[in-house]
Amino acid sequence: MITNLNDFLHQYFTIHDCEVITESNTEMTIRLTRELDQVLMNRPFYWHYMDKIGRAGEPMSLYLDTSTEKKDNNKEWIHFGSPRLQQIFHHIKQNARFTILYEETNGESKTPLHPWLVTNIMVHYRGKQKKESIHSIGLQLINGIMKANMMKHMDEFTMDLRMSDYSFTISPIIKPVSGLRRIFNYLENFLLEEDMQWVEESKKALSEEIQLLNYFFHQQEENKEILEKEKERLTERLEPRIEIEFINAGLFYLTEKSSQIIIKRDYEAGTKE
Amino acid sequence: MSISISRDETFIQEYEEAIKTPSQLADWQLFKQSYQIAETMKVPSFKDLVAPKFLPHLEFLPHQLECAEKVIQHMNGRALLADEVGLGKTIEAGLILKEYMLRGLVQKVLILVPASLVNQWALELNQKFLIPAVTSGKRVDWQNTNILISTLDTAKSVRHRQTILEQDYDFVIVDEAHKLKNHKTKNFQFVQQLSKKYCLLLTATPVQNKLTDIFNLISLLKPGYLGTYEDFIKQYKEQKRKVDEDPYLKQLISKVMVRNRRSDTGVHWTKREIETIWVPFTDQELETYHQVEQFFKHNTAISSITYVREFCSSREACYLSIKKWIQQQETINLPEVKGLLAAIEQLPHHAKALKLVELIKSSDEKFIVFTEYRATQIYLQWLLQQEKIPAVIYRGGFKKGKKDWMRQLFQNHAQVMIATEAAGEGINLQFCHRLINYDLPWNPMRLEQRIGRIHRFGQENDVKIYNFALKNTVDEQVMNLLYNKIQLFENVIGHLEQILSDLNLPNIEREVEQIFEESKSVGESKIKLDNLTSVIQSYQQDNEAKEHLL
Repeated sequence: MITNLNDFLHQYFTIHDCEVITESNTEMTIRLTRELDQVLMNRPFYWHYMDKIGRAGEPMSLYLDTSTEKKDNNKEWIHFGSPRLQQIFHHIKQNARFTILYEETNGESKTPLHPWLVTNIMVHYRGKQKKESIHSIGLQLINGIMKANMMKHMDEFTMDLRMSDYSFTISPIIKPVSGLRRIFNYLENFLLEEDMQWVEESKKALSEEIQLLNYFFHQQEENKEILEKEKERLTERLEPRIEIEFINAGLFYLTEKSSQIIIKRDYEAGTKE
Repeated sequence: MSISISRDETFIQEYEEAIKTPSQLADWQLFKQSYQIAETMKVPSFKDLVAPKFLPHLEFLPHQLECAEKVIQHMNGRALLADEVGLGKTIEAGLILKEYMLRGLVQKVLILVPASLVNQWALELNQKFLIPAVTSGKRVDWQNTNILISTLDTAKSVRHRQTILEQDYDFVIVDEAHKLKNHKTKNFQFVQQLSKKYCLLLTATPVQNKLTDIFNLISLLKPGYLGTYEDFIKQYKEQKRKVDEDPYLKQLISKVMVRNRRSDTGVHWTKREIETIWVPFTDQELETYHQVEQFFKHNTAISSITYVREFCSSREACYLSIKKWIQQQETINLPEVKGLLAAIEQLPHHAKALKLVELIKSSDEKFIVFTEYRATQIYLQWLLQQEKIPAVIYRGGFKKGKKDWMRQLFQNHAQVMIATEAAGEGINLQFCHRLINYDLPWNPMRLEQRIGRIHRFGQENDVKIYNFALKNTVDEQVMNLLYNKIQLFENVIGHLEQILSDLNLPNIEREVEQIFEESKSVGESKIKLDNLTSVIQSYQQDNEAKEHLL
């Protein structure tokens, strides 16, 4: 959960090498890099032109205010519904789908790193209504141990795209791709155990409405096409189904010690699996 | 219980590809951020609305939130929104649309609204709801535009009809859906044929008074819900039953219709205070008034009513129109006409205009002044300028940019806006709470539209309306007989359009004109006007009684 939007944005712009000037609790000025200017400022012709005449071009600055209410300043108000934040979210989601990360070690002694497959999954329940749930599942790729709340477990560890000196990885026994399938199967079984009342209700609503529809059109030969179309769209609207969608996934190499901490620890509250 | 579960198989392929290319790998912070975004944006329950959280700048009223919840949870996204005028049906529809979009259920949307409201809808959806809606311009791309606002007439026209019917819409909204109440019309058939998942029909007229109207509207939303047309007619026509006499039918309808009334919203509505300002003509003016009247009475071929009406507005309006009339004549009694024009020319001022200046000068408030005539508009602008009162003018024919600019000038710099047409474009002038009807339209609908510019949702002050009327003229008769009698100023007349069409009086202005033209004496016109208003009045009361039963 994003609890502090200001911190979140600060982190985002810093990750992307932008200079961030904090003016108050809610106000910040960001000097964009060329990369982020191209992502956020929507001026492809400018950059095209600069490239053509061989100039570097001047990235723009963003002036943001994260207050809960719009203030009378010349800053751009950014909140969870604002197009600007949607744009940033989109950018993050697109670029954070896959990874391979190594736990940081002191780099002094030889340290073996154990492979984990870490997956974050969004489940869409679609029927008369719609809801979503999120599952973060880790699979140890040597012994096949599976853990829920994986991102929570990972919170305390420092991970890096590069391996520390003297670390070395142990090759997975379970291939990541079959690991992904295992997680699918596991999750499916879990979902089938859940309360299915919403499924029943949606199915009932759908069949009732289809009956009404058939009756309404039963003497209207000329409107057969409308009937078929209505039925199709009705089914789309009410038929219960579940879709499993990956948010992101990665191969995480962890030290023996960290692996053991995760395996032994249990989060009682909020544990779904 | 079986349930279909679909997996994101393509992700596995993408994963295999991506881990071979280090440049595609996310660093730890970014990976975490993406997870945090998903946690923050997820829709955690079937029930609660998520949209208000994403629209922190909007304050919804309780009845609007309830409406959206009801439509989404109990009506599965197909409903008739029939709130009384001014309760914010557009807001409710926008909220429902936003909610479905946030839940990932809706991408492709078609919104059909009256031509006069197209821009208003676009503005509200874009600015208030941050929904990127586009209006259908000259080069409209039905296929590739996700959220389009258009009119029923454009959409059903030969040019576009086929393309639109080929699209699969996730959401269709039809504003002013009473245009769909007859299942034999092209409008109805077109909307019936649209491929749509969710659907909202919006109307302010109490459709439930007519059984077939409500049957047809509901059959667009939930075909078969009230049986077939034949069943329905048989069952209810034979028994001569009405909706309000049948609790079972009422119950059925309540499951597809939301109808809030002002009285049950529990919201404080600002008051509208009405004051009629009686202005006497000077002797000289009154004499000229009769001169105009007599002149045209003698030229029997044509009625004097247009010209005396104009004279009640300004010398300019009347003068220009007489000049135009002269040009159209083949034979003419020149000395007589010249005398008439000279008499008008000699008038130093116009009593109403002087009164207007006096009223505006006595206050620091902003005023919007409505007149029926462009000549009057220009005269008033000149007069206010002489008096150093900053004023802007506004016409229906202005381009959108100019309208917005005038509105802004009025808000920030001018004290007065002089407008000729209110209906054309739905501009909101909530920052202003004084309105002057410099002359009265003879069509009450137009009057309500005028008042609706300032007395609407979001108006925080009581609204004061001044009606100017000239003593001993046609103004006086219209004011007393037409307006005061049906209490138009006091009531919000959302139903009037329906009443007039039910009574087969689509053009009330013409009716009133005819009464004046055909009456031989003042007494006769009084009686006829009285009859007309009595009919409207009794129908109005009848309807109110029915409404309360439902």
